[in-house]
Amino acid sequence: MNRKKTSQLLQQLVFVGPSTVFFILIIMIPFLLGLSFSFTNWDGVADKVAWVGLDNFKKIFMDDPDFGAAFWFTTKFTVIGVILTNVLGFFLAYFLTKPLKTRNILRTVFFIPNVIGGLLLGFIWQFIFVKGFAAIGEFTKLPFFNLPWLGDEKTAFWGIVIVFVWQTAGYLMVIYISSLGNVPQDILEAAEIDGANRLQILRSIIVPLIMPAVTVCLFLAISWSFKMFDLNLSLTKGGPFGSTESVAFNIYKEAFQNNRYGLGTAKAIIFFVVVAVITSVQVKFTKSKEVEA
Amino acid sequence: MKKKYAKLSFIMLLALSLVLSACGSKAKEEASTGTTNSGGTDKPAETKTIHIFQFKVEISEALNKMKEEYEKEHPGIKLDIQTVGGGSDYGAALKAKFASGEEPDIFNIQGYAEMDTWIDKLEDLSDQPWVNDVIDVAKEPMTKDGKLYGQPMNLEGYGFVYNKDLFAKAGITKLPTTLSELTAAAQKLQDAGITPFANGYQEFWILGIHNLNIAFAQQPDPNAFIKGLNDGTAKISDNPVFKDWANLLDLTLKYGNKNPLTTDYNTEVTMFANGQAAMTQQGNWIQGQIDGINKNLNVGILPMPINDNPDQDRLAVGVPNNWVVNKNSPVKAEAKEFLNWLVTSETGKKYIAKEFKFIPAFKSITATADDIGPLGAEVVKYSQAGKTLSWNWAKYPDGATNEFGNIMQSYVAGKSDKQKMFEDFEKTWNNLKK
Amino acid sequence: MEITKKYRAGTLVTEIIVALVGLIFLVPFYFLFVNSVKSFGDILTNSASFPVSFEWSNYSKAWEATKFPAAFWNSLIITVVSNLLLALMSAMAAYRMVRHNTRFNAVLFTMFVAAMVIPFQSVMIPLVKVMKVVTDTLGITDSRIALIICYLGFGIPMTVFLFHGFIKSIPLEIEEAATVDGSNSYGVFFRIVLPLMKPMIVTVIILNTLWIWNDYLLPSLILQGADTRTIPLATSAFFGQYTKQWDLALAALVLGILPVIIFFLSMQKYIIEGITQGAVKG
Repeated sequence: MNRKKTSQLLQQLVFVGPSTVFFILIIMIPFLLGLSFSFTNWDGVADKVAWVGLDNFKKIFMDDPDFGAAFWFTTKFTVIGVILTNVLGFFLAYFLTKPLKTRNILRTVFFIPNVIGGLLLGFIWQFIFVKGFAAIGEFTKLPFFNLPWLGDEKTAFWGIVIVFVWQTAGYLMVIYISSLGNVPQDILEAAEIDGANRLQILRSIIVPLIMPAVTVCLFLAISWSFKMFDLNLSLTKGGPFGSTESVAFNIYKEAFQNNRYGLGTAKAIIFFVVVAVITSVQVKFTKSKEVEA
Repeated sequence: MKKKYAKLSFIMLLALSLVLSACGSKAKEEASTGTTNSGGTDKPAETKTIHIFQFKVEISEALNKMKEEYEKEHPGIKLDIQTVGGGSDYGAALKAKFASGEEPDIFNIQGYAEMDTWIDKLEDLSDQPWVNDVIDVAKEPMTKDGKLYGQPMNLEGYGFVYNKDLFAKAGITKLPTTLSELTAAAQKLQDAGITPFANGYQEFWILGIHNLNIAFAQQPDPNAFIKGLNDGTAKISDNPVFKDWANLLDLTLKYGNKNPLTTDYNTEVTMFANGQAAMTQQGNWIQGQIDGINKNLNVGILPMPINDNPDQDRLAVGVPNNWVVNKNSPVKAEAKEFLNWLVTSETGKKYIAKEFKFIPAFKSITATADDIGPLGAEVVKYSQAGKTLSWNWAKYPDGATNEFGNIMQSYVAGKSDKQKMFEDFEKTWNNLKK
Repeated sequence: MEITKKYRAGTLVTEIIVALVGLIFLVPFYFLFVNSVKSFGDILTNSASFPVSFEWSNYSKAWEATKFPAAFWNSLIITVVSNLLLALMSAMAAYRMVRHNTRFNAVLFTMFVAAMVIPFQSVMIPLVKVMKVVTDTLGITDSRIALIICYLGFGIPMTVFLFHGFIKSIPLEIEEAATVDGSNSYGVFFRIVLPLMKPMIVTVIILNTLWIWNDYLLPSLILQGADTRTIPLATSAFFGQYTKQWDLALAALVLGILPVIIFFLSMQKYIIEGITQGAVKG
């Protein structure tokens, strides 16, 4: 019995140990250190650090409308971005598991936006919105392209949404494709023989069976869109007039531009708690919808 | 199945050996940092490395060329120059650098409020031989309690960059130096079918840094005004200079391109360089970009007048950045020697004027119009005549320029009026001040 | 999961619609490639048009300015090593967590998942402090190894998460049969489970490759010295305080993404193979 215990312990160490060590080292410890900064007034540079208790948190809740505005913007962006990217990602996957002649090429095409990293992606799209759209607009006279892109709240918001969906839909598509691949052929055939139409098959068989992928994809999309930073920094820098400032960008600004590192980390903690709560609710909810194949 | 396992371990082994071979070659170089010597090689026994952490990507190539010359002239000294690109924030990278313990020996800071932030790390440079050669206004950003903590990198100046040929075409014979004259000139340009102003107001810094600075610089005593804002004795909302300044902003909007908020810096400069607009609020740093688009453009700089007083013919000239020495550096003496060499040796001077194409902040260094372009030459002309306005944004509370840019964009978009804009400035100031 | 392999009229319509959407997806790449062979002035004045004259010299200049071979090597080694270690370590951890869902493992898994929502900006300063201690203690002088260690830490939550979901879908009977045949857990894992996980391993490697290959912020904090620069760091040198050298930056960008595109295209075959395999097993 004892030997079995030791062997179990050893297995636990061998299998889970390495991951845990790196996790603790790179994420846990820095996170806890960051937590401790949130009770100080450290500016990020000075040798002196003073303990200020809960002052930072008080300031955030009592006297920081910009943080609230950033939260509202991020929430709006998350709701719309998550829905659009998942719908698009799922339907791309759905159609690209059909026997299309070009499906291999198309899979690549939809995935390829991921090969450009966040910062540079923003720079390129800024270029497209400002230069490319104007040129297309002149040529086609379509009002869509003649909007003041990135120049007012609406176009800046939708500009970010467009780039986000453009980039992430392909990523989610890959996950949906690999999950659709796991839907057993015989069930589908049986349903077809029973006379179910496509929509019924999609709604009553495919979607329930790929719920694990939905859980994953929703979770990923929510966590990305909530944490959106690179895109925000390089595409709009929070502008115009601060209307597209995401929470992550607000935190970054507080810590590194306003030189209030303590306040910035306090915001980060609040932000972390909120996102953690939202995603765990989501995971709980979609998990309850999962069924065994 | 076994075959796959074997294949996997083979790949891992390969990867591991790749890393190890990479470390091997790297370890040798690392050994030469600090004051340790590198053993068996034929390098001199004492090789000291000065780590330089700088943000100006425009000069990074020239810096690397200079590094070679410096190392040749100074055996035993190595320069390790790291440039942080504009993709991210230099300030954040610098803080991370210090937090990681890889403190650079020489780095850049802007002065004023930023100097106060970093003061714990700064070496006093007051006793350096080059101090007396620094142009007086260039000392101010890095002076605290009578001590000088940095070496100014260069001078830059801005105003309304204008297209001389378009001005001639519109029949403007006298250059405008007051607000009324500027308005008249803009009207003439518009009548001639030329867009007077190219406004790149999508960029927060064109508004929040450069444009707004004029309102601060035109105060009778900018420093006293800022001090007043900090201790609550001065106000923006009832300040007459701000009211005048807002008229200038209105003028650029009235006679500007459409959609200023979707126009970014590149578009703005391109419009100007292509002759689609006659003026744009920029500085001598756009010379390279203009040359890239339209090499023969005939350009100059105009002042930014906010009223009709006779003293409006002034350009805003200042020091964008400074070299500073880390107080805790193990190679402090060598770092200081390098900075001294940079501004006193013939090689160093040559690099500043001809390779970096800087407007020197030193009386002892001269740069010709050929080196620094017509825009640079205009800035030199104004600053030698003493017709300058100060740069004040580095004196604002940390992070204020971004917020000011947002507030002004709001005004440009018609979301607020002047009074609200002034009140928002004040609110931001009070929120961010220490 | 095709219901029928037949190519019907409806399929053709679908094909055309999806292909059109695909074309829209490619528009940014048109801008990227077309402008990478224009002169600086042309990029700013005629950004949407086809190039009048091809400035291939942008590429040679970008190649030299970024010291491309060195940057490529750095990116490659960091990406490959991080990827292999991440996939192996995470697969092992996820397997154990699924099959031995003890309270400890459940808590650990929750922590992994929670960590995925930590904003990077909030840990970056403490992280470099921690890394300083780690590298000093272990005597690591090459900052590329330090960076790999960081990627292992940051990559594990997500990778474990993806594997975790996948392993749950593997029927337990296969493993039980192997155990009856006398294999121990290590044997079961390496001989039975790992091969079954191939589709997910490929997916994970692709996803992690893209992340690591393109990452800018973390390498900019961790890497020391000009000769350790990765491709994104080298490319960022074209973005100045005011001036963005679009001609060279776009060329460098194309050079930087070409290897990933080639990599992705060559892996494409395995993804499909993996997916069909998964379908048979599922």
